This record gives sequence, C-alpha cells and structure tokens, in this order.
Amino acid sequence: MTNSSLHIGRLLRSTTSDCVIGCRASELNLPAFGGMVRIPLAEGTQIFGLIHNIQIEDDGLIRQLITSDNVPPDVLLDNRNNRNVPVEIGVIFIGYQQDGVISHLLPPRPPLSLDEIFTCTPQEVVAFTGNGRFGYLRHILRRDDLPQAELLAAHIQQAGQIHLTHGRPDWVEAVTRELVTLLRDDYDRLMSVLSAIGDINLS
Amino acid sequence: MTNNPENTSEKSLGYVVGGSLKDSLSVRLTVPPQEVKEGSFVVIESGDWRFYGTVTDLQLGSTNPRFADEQSENRLPPEVACLLHGQTLFTNLQVLPALMQEVGPDPASPEYEQWRSQHPDDSGLQPQPVKTVPAHHALVRSARAEDVANIFGEPSQRNFVIGYTREQNLPIPLDLEKFVQRSSGIFGATGTGKSFLTRLLLAGLIEYNKAATLVFDMHNEYAYDDIASDTKEVIPGLKSKFNPRVRVVGLGAGASIRGQSPDFNLTLAESDILPEDIEMLTRELNLRETTPATLEALWHDFGRTWFSEFKKMRNGAMEEDPITGKKVPATDSVAFWANQAGVNVMAAEGLHQKLGRLFNKPYIVPNPPQDSLAEIINLLASGKHVILSFGDHETDLDYLLVTNLITRRIRDEWEKRTNAYRSHPQKNPEPRPLVVVIEEAHKLLNREMAAQTAFATIAREMRKYYVTLLIVDQRPSQIYDEVMSQLGTRVSAWLGDEADIAAVLSGLAGRDALRGMLARLQPKEEALLLGWGVSLPIVVRSRRYDQRFFEELRGASPPGRSADDAIRELFG
Repeated sequence: MTNSSLHIGRLLRSTTSDCVIGCRASELNLPAFGGMVRIPLAEGTQIFGLIHNIQIEDDGLIRQLITSDNVPPDVLLDNRNNRNVPVEIGVIFIGYQQDGVISHLLPPRPPLSLDEIFTCTPQEVVAFTGNGRFGYLRHILRRDDLPQAELLAAHIQQAGQIHLTHGRPDWVEAVTRELVTLLRDDYDRLMSVLSAIGDINLS
Repeated sequence: MTNNPENTSEKSLGYVVGGSLKDSLSVRLTVPPQEVKEGSFVVIESGDWRFYGTVTDLQLGSTNPRFADEQSENRLPPEVACLLHGQTLFTNLQVLPALMQEVGPDPASPEYEQWRSQHPDDSGLQPQPVKTVPAHHALVRSARAEDVANIFGEPSQRNFVIGYTREQNLPIPLDLEKFVQRSSGIFGATGTGKSFLTRLLLAGLIEYNKAATLVFDMHNEYAYDDIASDTKEVIPGLKSKFNPRVRVVGLGAGASIRGQSPDFNLTLAESDILPEDIEMLTRELNLRETTPATLEALWHDFGRTWFSEFKKMRNGAMEEDPITGKKVPATDSVAFWANQAGVNVMAAEGLHQKLGRLFNKPYIVPNPPQDSLAEIINLLASGKHVILSFGDHETDLDYLLVTNLITRRIRDEWEKRTNAYRSHPQKNPEPRPLVVVIEEAHKLLNREMAAQTAFATIAREMRKYYVTLLIVDQRPSQIYDEVMSQLGTRVSAWLGDEADIAAVLSGLAGRDALRGMLARLQPKEEALLLGWGVSLPIVVRSRRYDQRFFEELRGASPPGRSADDAIRELFG
C-alpha cells in the first residue's frame, strides 16, 4: 500500500451495492484482493469499497496465441499492455463519506460509468475502518456469493497492518471479536472465517 | 435510603439474562468463574431498585453445543481461540433473589429531586421480600460491606456476628432478638462443628442477656472447659466465661461434672413423675399396648403417689391363703393390686418389671431435700442461665425422662406467668423469654414421641408463652416434620444425607436451589444460615470459638479474622 491515493481504473458498471471497474493490465500491480478503494462522486461525496474479485477475460487474439507453438516475448508484452479487453475488478461497497462524515451504510446512489477509482491511503483506511463499530462487515457477511473468509482475512491483514503502524495494535482483536459476535450462531461459517484469520501474519 | 449504588468503576460480576421469580435468575458471568462461589451474597442493580440474592449454582454453557464439544484451541491460534471462547463459551450463575429495595435514581440526576419529593423519608424504602424480577441485563455485583450491614445489620450485642462471608470476610450478624422469638435449629453431620456453633450462639445469647437459656447438656460439654478432640486446644466453658450469670446443675445427688462440683444438684421427687412421662418412654422401655390402661388404674388408685406405691409393690410375691391353704398373691404384690383394680395381672407385672430401670435411678427419690425443679425455674425467671449436665446419667432413658419432665414443668409455669401478665399487666411482670436447648433432638422430637412430649407443643405454639426451642441435631430427617416446619432460624453445617438436607429446608422458599449449597459446604467451619431470622440464605465461615472470640465479645477488639485464622484456612 502506497501512502498516496493512486488511480487504478474507471467504472464499467454498478449497482447500489457493488460495481465493476475496468483496469489496464499495466495498472494491475496496484489493486489487491481485499484492498480498499474509493470512488469520488460530485459534491464532496465518495464511496468506499472492497475489492473482492479480479477477473481477466480472454479475447480472440489470445485464443489464437494460446494455440501457437511459440509466443515471442515482444508479442506477449504487447498483448498484455495493449489488450482490447480490460481487466475487470469487482468491488463491493462498504460505506461512503459525505461532507467529511463517514457512514457504514450503502451509498445513496451508485457511481456513474467511467467514474475514476483510486486506492485508499493508509489514513483513509484507518479513518474508515476505525470509525463506528465495524458496521461495514455486514455488507460482506450478507453476500453468500463471495469467498467471505478469504476476503475478510485479506482485508484484516491489510487494514491490521496499517492500524499496527498507526498506533492501534488492538484493531485486529476488536474486528475478530465483532466477527465472532456476528457469526456465533453459524458455527461452520465462523470457524471458516477464524481459520482464515488465524493464517494472517502481521509484521 | 438516599445512597445510590451506581458506581460504574466497580467491577460487575455479570448481567441478568433470564430466570423467574419461582425458580431463580440466570446471570451471565463476565469474570472468571473462580471469582464467584456458590453461596455468595450478590446485589443486582436494576434501575431504581436493588435486588439481593444468593448464588445457588454455576453452570457452564455455550451458544452452540459444537463450540463446547470441539476443542477449537487445537485448530486456531491461541489469541483467536481465546476471542472465540470469550463469546461462545460462558458460565451462568443461578441467583436466588430474596429481597428487593427501592433506592431511587442517582442523586446527581435530574429525576432524583422528583423522586425524593415523592419519598420524603426513608420509611417504606426498607428491604422487602422479593416480589418481582430485575430487568434483563441488570448488572450483578458482589455485596459490599454496606450491603451486608443494610441487610443483616451492623454488628452489635443484639446483632451477633456468627461468621464471615466466604469471599470478602464481611461479618454476618444474626439478630438475636428475632432468633429467640421462634424456635430455631442447629444442624450438621457429626464432626462438622455443630457444638461449636451452639457454643457461639449460647455465648452470644448469654452476653446479650435478653432471654434466659436452659441447656440440656447430655454430654457435659458446655459448662466447663473442654479439650477439642481434633486440635487439642482448650475450649472455654460457658460457666468459666460467664460465671455469675450461668448456673450449672448436675443430675443426681453428689454429681460431679468433669471433676468439678456443680452449683447444685437436681433430684426428682417420685411424685413428680406422671403416667404420661412413662408412656413417653414406651419405645425406650419396650412397653406393651396394655401400659396406658395399667397406668390409668395406678393413677386412679393412688394419684400423685402412684410411682412410690407401685415401686413398693413386690413383683411375683405369693403367700399361703390361711383358709384354703393355696398359694395366692401377697397383699403387697403387684398381682394383688391388679386383681383389686381389675387390671390384667400379667400386664401389671410386666410393667412393674420394666419400670425397675426407673425405680433404681438414684436421682429419683421419695422426698428430695429441696425442690430443685422450682429452683431451676426461679433461676431462669430471675435472669440466670442454667446448664443441666447429666453427669454419669448419659443414657437415652435418663435424657428422655428428665428433659421431658423439666420442660413440662417449665411450660406450665411460663403459661401461668404469661396468662397472669396478660390478665394484669400492671401487677405481673412480663415473663422473661426462655430458650430451651436440646441436643440429640430427634430422640425427643421424632414422629412417635413428638405428640407425647412437651417439646412439640413448645415448637408449635409456645412462642406466645415466651418459650422457644433451640434444637441441636445431626439427623434432622428423624425429627417430626411438623416441628421442623415451625423452626424459624436454621443454622446448618454440612449434611450428606439427602433426607436430612430436605428436612432442614422444609417449609422454605427456594429449597431446591438451596439443596446443593448444603451438600457442598466445607466439612468444617462453614454453615448455611437460613429461615425466618435471616434476611436471606447465606453461607458463612463460622467464627472461631476461642479466647479471641471472648475478647471481641467483651468489646476488647472488633470482630474480624486474625492472621492466625487466615493461616489456618490456607494450610489447614
């Protein structure tokens, strides 16, 4: 995670709860699974989201190249940098900020096509995840179609590392406690989440 | 009551999660279970009300059985497992609520003024028996010293400290004024400190000196100094410590108690013995069904001298009829009297033979030098305390006969005095309350005997006549349940037998919850206080009956547990 907010792509499509971002392959080293992004809207509002999926679609040229015996390095590089089909990044909305106030509710309206998407700075991650009582977790836990345990573990790993360096070493414990509270009636899901969290390694 | 309990900095034990008035309240523990013990006195803060109760059980629980079944600490890192267990595995307390008290809002809050105007004084704000339940999530905390003082009273001569709470060593007093108003009981299996508890209470009663006590000391334990069987320490005798107030009476002429001469001796006149005294001994003397008819005939023929006359008769004596020359019963024989009185000869001779055990008792004499029974009554009425030591006469027969005979006389006397007082309160003094202490009470108050002895009557209705019993027994289940249910205050050390436990708890609310507490008391130096004279059931570490106790009793130092006591508790 860099200290500045970096542009990673533009919006392809969206709903009130999630969106898909188009991104060039050359920018693919920026976003990470479980990373937090922000989408600035007009009038001082910005949406926060969590990357839950990164998808690389094929096209006709790739299908042809795959079948050839040998792909020259310059062709490989050209195909990756100048491909016609963008890398698609799935983002789940986890809250928004309006007039400087952070909310863990869903944004009032979705972003529009081609809106720009940026990575969150450590300060933004600390401000958002340290605000309130982890209300944003319910957006993740509601989505049965997501790899919840892995997504939560990736998010906690990244955000926990930031909190550790920003003077709140107990954040991981607090978010884990909240997850236990939310999931204690669902033994299988809770154990799966805790098992993934158990694999987190903070340095 | 103006002091509001809200003190958020104080650590609570947990919060109410359920329960009912009928059973008990469930409290989710938020501290390690080792910090709370069964029998603890706890306080529940619920809005403007405070509830007082006793912990009766601790239960392990889980939000889902699988969290308890599977050892997740083997699958997860320790810190994650700890977080999981903290929320999914828990301990619930069962709290038996006993009292509730309106304490009002926080004095600093705006609502306080309005509440205070509705309650201008503290009348009506005293603790009362619980009639509702606290709200969900009401915080539960351990009782503080002021709570104990609020419920049990400040230690004083009247509020006699009998022991200390297990956790905080707070003194728990017993209101002696209430204690003597109804019959009471001290129970416990053998070797659990029953006699020490009795000594403690007797010392408290004698020091308080508002009621006379008559102790039937079957095993000569209470009057003079003794040596403890386990610690070999000297146990101070009540006579030694309260010499002017306590009189020791030895049974039989020339009796000696532990090598010391009693203040005077008790001898019974033969005319004191009534037929019902004999009927009461039916089981002890193995009397037959014909006995009442024979006794009735003896009473009819001789009146109060029946015992002497019957004793003089010769059993089986025959003489020759001068006219017929046949062998016939002698004129001073039992058979002769039986024929004259129309009583079955065999029955009369059988009774005479069995009463031989009584005829030979040295303490039953035709004409005693003084009316020692009247002397005992006068002593008790004049404010003295009497310990009747049985000396060498320690058989059940001696105990049953003498205790019943004396108690019958006392009952008659106190009834007479009470009636005189009630008729003419200006002319006659109010009778002095009397506590009759009986050991091995089941021998006198079992189902068969209870109807025949004076004790059952005292337990049932003599409260009105200023006489109550203090029953000391190790087998309460053998005592007639009608008597047990009348007992006000009950002090019980450890009991193992289910029937004994049930008997001690008979007639009390929440007995199912209290059952386990009795069974799990420490075998020594712990007692459960419960019943009418105790505001709420509580387990105490009993006070030690030693030299320090008497120093505290005399006001030399406040009640407290010494370093020696603490060391003894730690290392036995």
